[in-house]
Amino acid sequence: MRIVLQNLTKAFPSRNKKSNEEVIAVNNFNFEIPDGKLIGLLGPSGCGKSTTLYMISGLLKPTSGRILFGDDDVTELSTENRGIGLVFQNYALYPHMTVKQNIMFPLQNLKGQDKMTKEQMLERTQGAARLVQIDGLLDRKPSELSGGQQQRVAIARALVKMPRVLLLDEPLSNLDARLRLQTREEIRRIQQETKITTVFVTHDQEEAMSISDMIVVMKTGIVQQIGKPQDVYDDPANLFVAKFLGTPPINVFEGSVKNDMLYVGSDPVLAIKGVADQAVTVGIRPEGFILDEEGPLRCKPVNVEVMGRDVSVVSTHDASSNPFVRSIINADNKIDVTREYVRYGIKSHKIFIFNKETEERIYFEVK
Amino acid sequence: MSDHTIRTMRSRDMGKATSKQHFTKGFALVGTYLFLCVMAVIVLFPFYWMLISSVKSLAEYRLSKPTFWPQVLLLSNYAEAFTTASLGRLFFNTAYVGIISTILSLFITIITAFAFARLQFKGKELLFAGLLATMMIPGELFTITNYITVSTFGWTNTFTALIVPFLVSVFYIYLLRQNFLQIPNELYLAAKVDGTSDWKYLWKVMVPLALPTLISITILKMMGAWNSYIWPRLVANDEAHRLVTNGLRNAFKDTSGEVNYPVQMAAVALVSAPLFLVFIFLRKYIMAGVSRSGIKG
Amino acid sequence: MVESKHQWKAWLYLAPAIVLLLVFTVWPIINTVRMAFLEDYSIAAASGGEASFSLGVGNFVKVAQYQDFLVCLKNTVLLCLITVPISTLLALLVAVALNSIKPLRKLLQTIFFLPYVTNSIAIGMVFAAMFNIVGSLGTRRPLIQTVGIVNNVIEFFGGSYVNWINNGSSYWPNMFVLIIYIVWNALPFKILILLGGLQSVNKQYYEAAKVDSTPRWRVLWRITVPLLSPMIAYVVITGFIGGFKEYTSIVGIFGESLGPAHAPGRLNTMVGFIYDALAQHHQGRASAAALILFAIILLVTLINLQVSKKRVHY
Repeated sequence: MRIVLQNLTKAFPSRNKKSNEEVIAVNNFNFEIPDGKLIGLLGPSGCGKSTTLYMISGLLKPTSGRILFGDDDVTELSTENRGIGLVFQNYALYPHMTVKQNIMFPLQNLKGQDKMTKEQMLERTQGAARLVQIDGLLDRKPSELSGGQQQRVAIARALVKMPRVLLLDEPLSNLDARLRLQTREEIRRIQQETKITTVFVTHDQEEAMSISDMIVVMKTGIVQQIGKPQDVYDDPANLFVAKFLGTPPINVFEGSVKNDMLYVGSDPVLAIKGVADQAVTVGIRPEGFILDEEGPLRCKPVNVEVMGRDVSVVSTHDASSNPFVRSIINADNKIDVTREYVRYGIKSHKIFIFNKETEERIYFEVK
Repeated sequence: MSDHTIRTMRSRDMGKATSKQHFTKGFALVGTYLFLCVMAVIVLFPFYWMLISSVKSLAEYRLSKPTFWPQVLLLSNYAEAFTTASLGRLFFNTAYVGIISTILSLFITIITAFAFARLQFKGKELLFAGLLATMMIPGELFTITNYITVSTFGWTNTFTALIVPFLVSVFYIYLLRQNFLQIPNELYLAAKVDGTSDWKYLWKVMVPLALPTLISITILKMMGAWNSYIWPRLVANDEAHRLVTNGLRNAFKDTSGEVNYPVQMAAVALVSAPLFLVFIFLRKYIMAGVSRSGIKG
Repeated sequence: MVESKHQWKAWLYLAPAIVLLLVFTVWPIINTVRMAFLEDYSIAAASGGEASFSLGVGNFVKVAQYQDFLVCLKNTVLLCLITVPISTLLALLVAVALNSIKPLRKLLQTIFFLPYVTNSIAIGMVFAAMFNIVGSLGTRRPLIQTVGIVNNVIEFFGGSYVNWINNGSSYWPNMFVLIIYIVWNALPFKILILLGGLQSVNKQYYEAAKVDSTPRWRVLWRITVPLLSPMIAYVVITGFIGGFKEYTSIVGIFGESLGPAHAPGRLNTMVGFIYDALAQHHQGRASAAALILFAIILLVTLINLQVSKKRVHY
């Protein structure tokens, strides 16, 4: 099912009763989610991603704008009539019902021609349980399950009535690190098996990048960028997106453009053209550094963190906005931290420059 | 402080402990148990006295040297008590009033608490605050007018008069609302996604989850009916509608002087028995309910 | 979170409660105040009879001048002032003792809760039996068959029997029996609340006190009582509220005459006064007395809260 969000806006009345100002949680969101894709809504807390999800679910009504499922306008439709499945952050399993009763619950609520017989319900329940591989746990209570198992039950409950759209709110945040890796693959697998258009919300960029067909990066209610994970990573639209994606995060420097030369501090790092002289913010991905005795960027080494195949060199630079500059270098290179300087060359496609005021990306050509 | 440091400190204490410290510690423990046992005897004695008196003969009861175990077990006292006080009728009346008023009261409490906990409407906070404010006022203040109201409605000497005025308990509504509020909001949202109406969500999810509170309320309400005295005496004190406490008081008007105590004690034991049975089986719920309520019945 | 358009549905849920509350709670509040300030209000008028009334404080004046009322007020205040401190202190000691033991705690806890699940009239009759002297006391040639179990105990220890509740008994023995019974009745609730409070007190305070080798009584007064002060304030306040409404315990022991045979009504209380007035169709007087009772309870509660503001450590 294709989902279309048109000028979607949500304003909440301010918590502070004295001021009548509204809080705009989602501001003029436009997006068309293609059928059968897995979409990650990504952003820090308070960015409006959950609000967007809840508006798609119908639990929240948009202040303005429209939501379409395929060609149907569902903006005014209440949750129960939208045909969606929603997995809550804390799963929201009914604690007094068994796993089977939990999964079957949505089916028992079907009315009219959708009404099912007991046998049909049982069959569907078992099918959903098989899909998420919990068919051995049907008679347990939620409290007797591990976090990962509860998560699967919640997904089964959301899927059992064969929703047009599956929504997941921070689906991995309550799981430990190992389970998180496993479960995200699981979500990917289930999504690809069922081909249900799926939207999930997360604040963890790695999670979103790893399984999404497309990601939507949001900040304070405004969509920053939409695209395939790799495209967004390689080509961030602004400083916020550049900073939000990637671990370790991008290195940010004070810099300037003078006479077609990009400076980081006073180090001339790259000859470019098409940019007028101005002070800029420079971002360099950690993997964009090349060890080079003759390289233009001079950093004071502090420490080397071994990560197996790679090493992460921690150093300082006067123009850096962060306390440390991190670069990721192949472990074959030996770095002597006692040296006064380590010198880097920069891969030109891993360096981005941004307007100092607006933080928007400034595109350049390499000379 | 870590576990480890506590343990080492304790073991150091133990090492230093002299025999004198051991003695005072042991002495204090014996003293504690002694005090508790004496208090327990004081608490239990009336029940014991009630039970053994209820099976004594009148002559034995009146011995100037009391017996602490009856010479003959006279169970006929119970039969006599049962007929003298027409306890059968009283038990039936009380059970009837108790059950009907508990069911209706639970229903009203549940839907009202649900509205206050989950639904949104204008003036909710104000209305709820107003409700809580009425808890401040002693019940006697309501009784006077309610007595007039019940007379005006022609409910005197009917079960209706015993049931209807007390169907709404602000306190139970408050108690249940608090319990409902503890149920995570996500469950409500999940139920919406699963296609449930408010009504169905209330009965399928909230009520089962609040069951312990509902059981507490049921027991307290039933105990209230069993122990009520003042109101029933005012509005329904005829043979057909009299409740057990009044019946007991009416059947044995005298408490001093020449009284057939064994029969009276047998009647008291019979009236107390259901309460004790309920207590034995549902102690957990009663104590939980009482510790939150602070009201009797 | 969910935004509902159906406000009227909420009112549907509330309707039964609101109707009942309007009739049996809100209207009584208004009507009681009205009746109390109307002169010469009677049941005839209440049921629609025509009469013209004037506003005034006549009912209050009458109540205050009434000898019976002063007796009731005195009894109520005395019972409150004596039983609340005794029962609170005893309950505190029992709770602390219970909290300090392991074996038998559950059993003892259950025993101490037993008086709560009793019918106060029924068990009042048991207490009356324990204090009663069977015989014809107060007649010219009294004939005594048994002096009752309590007097038996007193005689066992070499004392002589007391006429507690019988014909010809005096005021303070009567009060003594009432006090014993009311304290006995009040203990379970207080123990339950205080023990609950004790169990939620952080054990580290006691560990610390142990390290400093603080003596037991000091631990009680300097650590336990202050930490428990919110609960103590709670049981004292509810104790006073309950105490001012004392009535059924007295009916339990003395029957509906509310006093020994030669002095009926001697041990009546405020609530008893209200019901007597009501039974005699003096609604105005009953209402005035009920408002006085409410005012006293409010005042005592406010004083308690004021005191606890200074003393209670939250």
